[in-house]
Amino acid sequence: MGLRAYIAKRLVNSFVLVILIIMVNFAIFKMMPGDPTAFLMQAWSKEPPEVRRQQEQLLKQMWGLDQPFHIQLIKYIRNLLVMDFGVSIINKEPISHAIGWRIPYTLMLLGGSTAVSITLGVILGIFVIQRRGGLIDSVAVTGSLIIGSLPTFWLGLVFILIFYTTLRWFPIAGGHPIWMGNYPVPWSYNVQASTSTLNVSLSLNAIDAWRLVGGYLYHLFLPFLTLTVFSVGGWLLLTRAAMLETITEDYIVTARAKGLKEQTVLFKHALKNASLPIITSAALSFGFMLSGAIITETVFSYPGLGGWIWLAIQFLDYPSLMAIFYIIALCVVIANIVADLLYGVIDPRIRYG
Amino acid sequence: MIKLANTKKPSKLSFTIKRLTDFMRRLLKNKKSALGLSIILFFVFLAVAAPFLTPYDARGVDPSEPLVPLSSPNVAPVWLRFLPTWLGGNPHLSENMRVVNNPGRPSLTELKLEWSGEGTISSYIDENKGFPLQAPTGFSKFTQKGSLVIAYSRKAEEPHNLTKVWLYAEFDWPYTGPPGRFIGNICILVNGTTKPDGKLDVPLKVKVYLGKVDEKLWTLWPNPTVFGLTNMPIGFKEDPSLRVYDPKTGLILARFPWGIDRPLSGWPDINGWIISRTSPESKAGSIDSESNSLVNEYTEFGKNSFPHRIIFTGPGKYAYGLELTFLDQDSVEKDVETKVFVDDFGLIIFGTSFGLLGTDHQGRDLFSQLIYGTRISLYIGILVSVLSVFIGLIVGLAAGYMGRFVDEILMRITDLLLVLPGLPLLIVLVAVLGAKLENLIILLGVLGWMGFARMVRSQVLSIKERPFVEAAKAIGAGRFHIIVHHVMPSVMSLVYISLATSVPGAITAEAALAWLGFYDPVRMSWGQMLHNVFESNAITNWWWVVPPGLFISLLAAAFILLGYALDEVLNPKLRLRR
Repeated sequence: MGLRAYIAKRLVNSFVLVILIIMVNFAIFKMMPGDPTAFLMQAWSKEPPEVRRQQEQLLKQMWGLDQPFHIQLIKYIRNLLVMDFGVSIINKEPISHAIGWRIPYTLMLLGGSTAVSITLGVILGIFVIQRRGGLIDSVAVTGSLIIGSLPTFWLGLVFILIFYTTLRWFPIAGGHPIWMGNYPVPWSYNVQASTSTLNVSLSLNAIDAWRLVGGYLYHLFLPFLTLTVFSVGGWLLLTRAAMLETITEDYIVTARAKGLKEQTVLFKHALKNASLPIITSAALSFGFMLSGAIITETVFSYPGLGGWIWLAIQFLDYPSLMAIFYIIALCVVIANIVADLLYGVIDPRIRYG
Repeated sequence: MIKLANTKKPSKLSFTIKRLTDFMRRLLKNKKSALGLSIILFFVFLAVAAPFLTPYDARGVDPSEPLVPLSSPNVAPVWLRFLPTWLGGNPHLSENMRVVNNPGRPSLTELKLEWSGEGTISSYIDENKGFPLQAPTGFSKFTQKGSLVIAYSRKAEEPHNLTKVWLYAEFDWPYTGPPGRFIGNICILVNGTTKPDGKLDVPLKVKVYLGKVDEKLWTLWPNPTVFGLTNMPIGFKEDPSLRVYDPKTGLILARFPWGIDRPLSGWPDINGWIISRTSPESKAGSIDSESNSLVNEYTEFGKNSFPHRIIFTGPGKYAYGLELTFLDQDSVEKDVETKVFVDDFGLIIFGTSFGLLGTDHQGRDLFSQLIYGTRISLYIGILVSVLSVFIGLIVGLAAGYMGRFVDEILMRITDLLLVLPGLPLLIVLVAVLGAKLENLIILLGVLGWMGFARMVRSQVLSIKERPFVEAAKAIGAGRFHIIVHHVMPSVMSLVYISLATSVPGAITAEAALAWLGFYDPVRMSWGQMLHNVFESNAITNWWWVVPPGLFISLLAAAFILLGYALDEVLNPKLRLRR
């Protein structure tokens, strides 16, 4: 099987998976108790019965709930494929818009912390593997195991206790500086609100721009720290385990015997061969990035997607949840494909396997 | 036939035992597993010995008096008083105190009696008469039959005037700071000779006071009654001259009790007793530093004040007492007598520190919650890991051994569950299905088997090509037999490792869900404790924040360490490389 056939097989598999995801997503929320029409009809409970019946009919027509199951499913799949998610139940905001303005926050938080913790974890893992069996090794491994099993929200609470309650260095809530007022993101594409938003972001002078960036970073710090501290240990362990597999292989001994520098041996010979599991995990964690960090974002009231998912869950906002589940699953599938492709590029054995 | 006389075949059991002890020895040699196992043992000990470690129940409530808080809400641990201030200590903390140990049967061994005036005062214990109902909240432990009688008598034509009697308990308050709250109680019954119109010959004024001896004694009871808020205590007559009117509407804002002028029959009729209850439904006569704050506007304490902070000014001798004033002014020409039965006379002072870890927002003991929380975490962790490993094992074996169609279907389902966002899905399902602990266990188990199933499958795929499986097939072994006897033993090491490593995920998931608000209301878990911290805005109470989180992570880390060590012990390849 060549690289092309390998990719083709993965793509077909992924497409089947996406269709399956859509159907399961549809089924899960279809089976959930609680009828959105009934929920909205509460507002009409004082009207006479025939008016109510009419209204209910209207609502069902509007949402296509009067149509048979399979038509609903087909329409749903069509809408998803063109990224039309409908409106949120909570505030009638178009879901794509609600997701759109929150994505930058989540990308900033999770992208940043994932990247930093992977880099840091891999570097620390290599540092540790050079001293394997020693005190530093066992301390690092045990410490990573313990920190990795901490509940994230508790880690967040402890950081709040230290950095907010005691030291008063960082804020505990929000995602942007207060002086920006009601404009949550300067890059918001909400046209009605953005006439002023755009003015603000365009009229920023250099100092204000720096203050703006500083303000974002200032608010980002605590959730960022929480997530990074929480996940860096996992990357360390993964790197260590993967390197442990390769570092005792014969070709490493050969490389050393050739008189190569230790750095070259470690990075070129050991790390490259050990990088497969690291790349898979990295791709997966970037894939799951959009699901945000529900817990962390809730602890710090950070305006990302995680906090939004939590809000949607509280109000049982099914359309929003269906949309976000679909998007997350899609991202994970894409990440998997990317990981597979990288595999194929890095490891020739797989192409022909 | 060759006779094997002295070669005894070792029994299967002894072989298993030998193998097990050998394995345990190797496991204990590994430092990580020794550490992990000892932490797990410590928690198992906590879970089992919880009833012996704390007198309170799993929610931190005294099981014999579930309605009474153990102390004031959100108070600090006791040991914080002895810590230097730069470490967060507070020397002004106080502890709980019961001023009268046996209020159910007041006696002069605990209480002191003094009087001044003309009449004869006698006191004795009436064995039969006592407040018939169960004593009010906070005092039910001390219910005992009988009451203390204080009798005033005077022969005809003897000198008569006003006689004051004090029945009080003196106690030392050793703390520099005030308490967090106090609850007092008293039940009295008045009887005696009457005039022709049915009124007492010697009417009576009653006052319950508390204060520092030789300084101000503050009146606690009877309270003025406030319009729309409290009613006049039954049995008391009002003093109309003291009424407070609203200057605008002319409504009566407050009325003041004057005293008792009619005999009350009492036993067996409870109506005769004048009681000060601390329950919210009869705020009228309560002696409670918290609920009184509503009435304080018309008392000497002043508006929006807390009596406990005003009364307790520092360490010293304090007195909690009952002042009886016998107003012997009429009925000069006959023998008169007025008897006062006193029952359930006591005072509970709640300190500003309690127990090893303080209290939560409802005055419940945090230490008990922490100890008993171990049970829930262990229960969830172990059951979930067993369930998910079981499902994963079956799916993995089936997919790996059956291959083809079965494999394809099972692996697509696995992929599907792997790409769905785990935590959000879990939260949605819990939100819809309810946060019962058993629901949670099933959900966590059903959503957590995929990774393990994949591992088992890949192991099985390589095993089933081995010669011994082929040999088994050749002699006609059935599929089930081969899976159970030839394939499964080789994935058992994976099973053991996964059993240990999937516990922490379940424990932290439960904690996270409980923290978000999806907890089993009946069972207090560590996650729920942390939820309560946020709920009551008590994040500065680090003695409340730190222990549950530390316990969660210790227990989780212990299982991870164990799994990690099992991996090292069971995979000899890894050991060689060290």
